[in-house]
Amino acid sequence: MLRVEDLYKSFGPLNVLEGITTAIGQGEVVAILGPSGSGKSTFLRCMNLLEQPTQGHIFFKDEDITAPKCDILKVRSNIVMVFQHFNLFPHMTVLQNVIYAPMKVKGLSKDQARGVGMDLLTKVGLAEKADVYPSRLSGGQKQRVAIARALAMQPDMVLFDEPTSALDPEMVKEVLEVMQDLARSGMTMAIVTHEMGFAREVANRILFLNEGKLAEDTTPDAFFSNPQCDRAKIFLEKMLK
Amino acid sequence: MDRLLCSLWVWLTGARSAARSPRGLHRRLPRFWAIAIVVCLAISFNTGWLTLFAPPAPAQDIPKVLTMGTSADYKPFEFYDTTGGESKIVGYDVDVAQRIAKDLGFELKIQDMDFNGLIPALQSGRVDFVMAGMTPTAERKKTIDFSDIYYSAQNTIIATQGSNLTTIESLKGKTVGAQLGSLQQEVAQKIPGAKVTTRNRVPDLIQELNAGRIDAAIVEDTIAKSYANIYPDLKFTVIPNNEGGYAIAFPKGSKLVPEFNRVIAAMKQDGNLDQFAKKWFEDQGKPTETGFQRIIPRIPFILGGIPVTLGFTFASLFFGLILAIILAILKISSFKPLRWFANAYTSIFRGVPLIVTLTLIYFATPQLTGYKIEAFQAGVITFALNSAAYVSETLRAGIMAVDKGQREAAMALGVPYRMMMQDVIMPQAFKNILPALVNEFINLLKDSALVSTIGAADLLRRATIVGAETYLYFEPLIIVAIIYYVMVMGLTIAASFLEKRLQKSA
Repeated sequence: MLRVEDLYKSFGPLNVLEGITTAIGQGEVVAILGPSGSGKSTFLRCMNLLEQPTQGHIFFKDEDITAPKCDILKVRSNIVMVFQHFNLFPHMTVLQNVIYAPMKVKGLSKDQARGVGMDLLTKVGLAEKADVYPSRLSGGQKQRVAIARALAMQPDMVLFDEPTSALDPEMVKEVLEVMQDLARSGMTMAIVTHEMGFAREVANRILFLNEGKLAEDTTPDAFFSNPQCDRAKIFLEKMLK
Repeated sequence: MDRLLCSLWVWLTGARSAARSPRGLHRRLPRFWAIAIVVCLAISFNTGWLTLFAPPAPAQDIPKVLTMGTSADYKPFEFYDTTGGESKIVGYDVDVAQRIAKDLGFELKIQDMDFNGLIPALQSGRVDFVMAGMTPTAERKKTIDFSDIYYSAQNTIIATQGSNLTTIESLKGKTVGAQLGSLQQEVAQKIPGAKVTTRNRVPDLIQELNAGRIDAAIVEDTIAKSYANIYPDLKFTVIPNNEGGYAIAFPKGSKLVPEFNRVIAAMKQDGNLDQFAKKWFEDQGKPTETGFQRIIPRIPFILGGIPVTLGFTFASLFFGLILAIILAILKISSFKPLRWFANAYTSIFRGVPLIVTLTLIYFATPQLTGYKIEAFQAGVITFALNSAAYVSETLRAGIMAVDKGQREAAMALGVPYRMMMQDVIMPQAFKNILPALVNEFINLLKDSALVSTIGAADLLRRATIVGAETYLYFEPLIIVAIIYYVMVMGLTIAASFLEKRLQKSA
């Protein structure tokens, strides 16, 4: 579904990504792991072009989305993203947050969008909060709304950028459960996370990044039981202690 | 021109590739607005050129309707009759003008403005002639033409009772007031040893006299008589052998002058002028009521200024806000010339006093474009332009204060730049700056009093008119101050209510 070819990204003199090549297949759940500063988030943000790659190509459904002629807005509405800090629109109610983009970008009627929106809110367990403003929600609830908002676009792929890092520990679980359900439903997902247990259990592939390079590309079992590179061993030691 | 616009259009919209990256997206913004600006400029240039190249309306053609300019704060020559809420400019000059217009077969239209604006109004073709108790001085004759004298006036010294200032000689070393630009100013300046000070209006001179800031004033006898009648502390003495008089003023070279002179001569012959003099200058009798009692029947007239002031304020705020949004977006654009333009705009309007801009726009527009802009329009344009300069700066800060994540969230959903600005960023930016906007609104409401200087019938102007009609100074001002205060308080309360509601919603 998504193919990355020799991807480079630098911010001024700082080289963040240095030649990443990989592919993510339909229905795959990929956990992107790595020490801080290894370029995980930048890699993820390149996938929906929130960051413009300095060099290299990204193909989505065999279309080169890094090509100048590509309709970037259309790509983004197919590869949606869930952020660490939720980024809900504070001046819209929960339901308005969810149905805004489907109405404006996909041209759904209000009734259609509302139907889709309420279904999704029910799925994430927040139907009764539909008419509440985000400021009244807990962090976990906010992130569940953000996931519903992303799914409302009926995307082909969802990117998660550290979705639980800004949450209080007791709220992590409710968000991970929603993500787990989504993974089971066959959604293609790429997740930057520090939740090792979740990565091990839910992901069917691990990408381990180190200093802007893809250091390991393997199954969770192989990665957690028998990491190949030294950096991954140190990383796991620290994370699983 | 068309080709130029075409290539600009291509440049502005063509390269979609620029819209791919976040940075590129950022650049789409100026493109969109640049289109808007180019279109606006094209329109304004086109119309501008049209008016410049259109054959000028033959200035010497005598129109069916004659517009008379006057400054209706000079009772009994011209003043507003405001009893009962309705207002109409009446007085000796108006009667004379009606008779002349009737004899010459014209319809008369009267336009009221500040005395200082009368000569510019003649020069810019805003009015056909001016009757405002104007004396044909040598200085004025350089720029405008005059008819024969239709009213002979005598100059007087007006001073407080017991001051003994009754002769030219007694004024040596004294401070003497006169109306700016009047014949009386010239008379005062010829008094040996006197210190001359000027004010825009005669009522101001009388107040200075009452306040003791000036020792005496030189005013025309009919006016002096009226004021001495109201203020028992004042007395006046006619200056012997110092006759002046009023004439009708025209633009240089007007063909109306001989026609008017013919009717003036006829009116002197048939006694019509004497009739009018009797009607307007007869002893008015001492008023028995207090100042406020005399103002009360005229309060409806003053209140009639509220819709004008409010309409003016709302219109200015509305257009100012639209312009401010455009400017704010230019200010955050990554295309430098647009940023420069927006910043230069703000710096100009910050650096020039509002009243200067206002006067320039009101008087220069007719001369440059031939369009006789109305006082209200000129006011709204000036205030909108000025307000936009300030609000755009506030709005820019408000936009910058919106969390970066909001932009990214909208982008990540595939929302186009314009919709993102409109639906996600701007509502939050406006919420950020709501208190500042309310402040701007209140400032606009109060500053709107400036339009009274170009004759728009707002609250302050109406209070001044009532003051001129009743020879009272403070009472109408106090009333108008209370009205302004109540309006501002109402606005403040409404705004804090709104703010609380918005706070609740998020």
